[in-house]
Amino acid sequence: MAKLEAQNIVKYFEHDGKPLKALGGVSFTVEDGDFVCLVGPSGCGKSTFLRIAAGLQKPDEGQILLDNRPITKTGPDRIMVFQEGALFPWLKVRDNVEFGLKIAGIPESERREISDRYLDMMQLSKFANSYTYQLSTGMRQRVAIARALVMDPEILLMDEPFAALDAQTRDLLLVEMQMIWQKTKKTIIFVTHSIAESTILGNKVVVFTHRPSTIKKIIPIDHKRPRLVDDEALIPYQKEISALLRPEVKATEETS
Amino acid sequence: MKINSIGKKIAFYVGIVAVWQILSSANIWPNSVFPSPYDVGQDLWFGAIDGTLWIGIGTSLWRLAAGFTIAAIGGIALGILMARVKTVNETIGSIVLGLQSIPSVAWAPLAIVWFGLTDAGIIFVTVAGALFAVTINTYTGVKSINPDFIAAAQNMGAKGEQLVTKVLIPAAFPYLITGFKQGWAFGWRGVIGAELLFSFLGLGFLLNVGRQLSDVSQVISMMLVIMIIGIVIDGLIFKRLEDKVMARWGLR
Repeated sequence: MAKLEAQNIVKYFEHDGKPLKALGGVSFTVEDGDFVCLVGPSGCGKSTFLRIAAGLQKPDEGQILLDNRPITKTGPDRIMVFQEGALFPWLKVRDNVEFGLKIAGIPESERREISDRYLDMMQLSKFANSYTYQLSTGMRQRVAIARALVMDPEILLMDEPFAALDAQTRDLLLVEMQMIWQKTKKTIIFVTHSIAESTILGNKVVVFTHRPSTIKKIIPIDHKRPRLVDDEALIPYQKEISALLRPEVKATEETS
Repeated sequence: MKINSIGKKIAFYVGIVAVWQILSSANIWPNSVFPSPYDVGQDLWFGAIDGTLWIGIGTSLWRLAAGFTIAAIGGIALGILMARVKTVNETIGSIVLGLQSIPSVAWAPLAIVWFGLTDAGIIFVTVAGALFAVTINTYTGVKSINPDFIAAAQNMGAKGEQLVTKVLIPAAFPYLITGFKQGWAFGWRGVIGAELLFSFLGLGFLLNVGRQLSDVSQVISMMLVIMIIGIVIDGLIFKRLEDKVMARWGLR
């Protein structure tokens, strides 16, 4: 069943006072329970697409349907995990995780129960009373993921959440992310610039073209989990994606 | 390190008093024009004993507190509106900087006309002095919030009042404190200035009485009290608040 359906999404940016077409009609479907990774040359608008899906930006043309209803505004049924985490420095870890629940007016005892569960899942229990600046970048992204999961969203939107992490931390989170997906059965759209990351995480990889972007190809990755970083069975997929992206990256460099 | 710095401070103040004492005992100027530290201390002591000093301090502080509270609340509201509503910024925002440049005591004539010689008049001057500093800093603070914070909060369902109280104000808080620090200092000048011009009671009033009676000891002692209150409020309240917030926000 289609969980999310993008229909011909077009988005312009302002660039040096001139409109620049970033998304040139992006259409694809995400099935319920999919783990979809979006890859593309930098500046192709994959993060913009994510923000449109989150309802944080409006498309100039087209629409995105969530459970067959068009997305018109932002809301907690589609929770976004930001590249830098966007954690609130004035709140302790637990209060960050409970933020959305508090906004929703959920009583404290219930909030506590839910946040305990996800703090435990993300191995953050002993940091519940820390402030975010006391945590490493990797720990902070765990908090960001926990903060998203407590909302029990229909779909999780992740915008290069591991881009700023050191290699070891990222490898660890790549494995954990698969376990979270299997445990929670969430539908996930995950933007990344790392081809390897996309093949490790995704059961589908959506390859964007350069600007104005469209979908070049959707590649299903059928391979057992948990997939590790050095999993050789993923290499053919990575090569294929790499070959698809090469002319796009080149075109991007020539036009910018 | 800490003890060393306290030691330096003590030495400095002892030095000032010593120089002052030497100058006054040199009898270059008559004692009625240039009183000795002892005269000033005596004046303070008498004031403390007969209660006029405490009443003066209490009155001025009450006016400051009332005016500052109004200015803080109003300034935060106005600053947030300016930062979030384009029309407000294009209209009110354009004159706030101009209003900020008016010395608070320049509002005193208006205060007299509108409120008469009342506490309300003094508080009005205080508000006028403090309001725009808080407004401008709040505006800057809200404008510098990481846009992802706001996006994340809205994404999690925050809007309207919740967005303001749970995100905008805490996120801009380091700037709000700067606004408070500037605002209270302007407000304090406003209180004293207005009291000098048109009040009974209050430190500014006592200062003016000293001048009218040609009691220079009282003038200097009141100036000292005004300054000490300034140091205490800044150091005890705002410095601590700032340190706490900076640490909490991870800005240090």
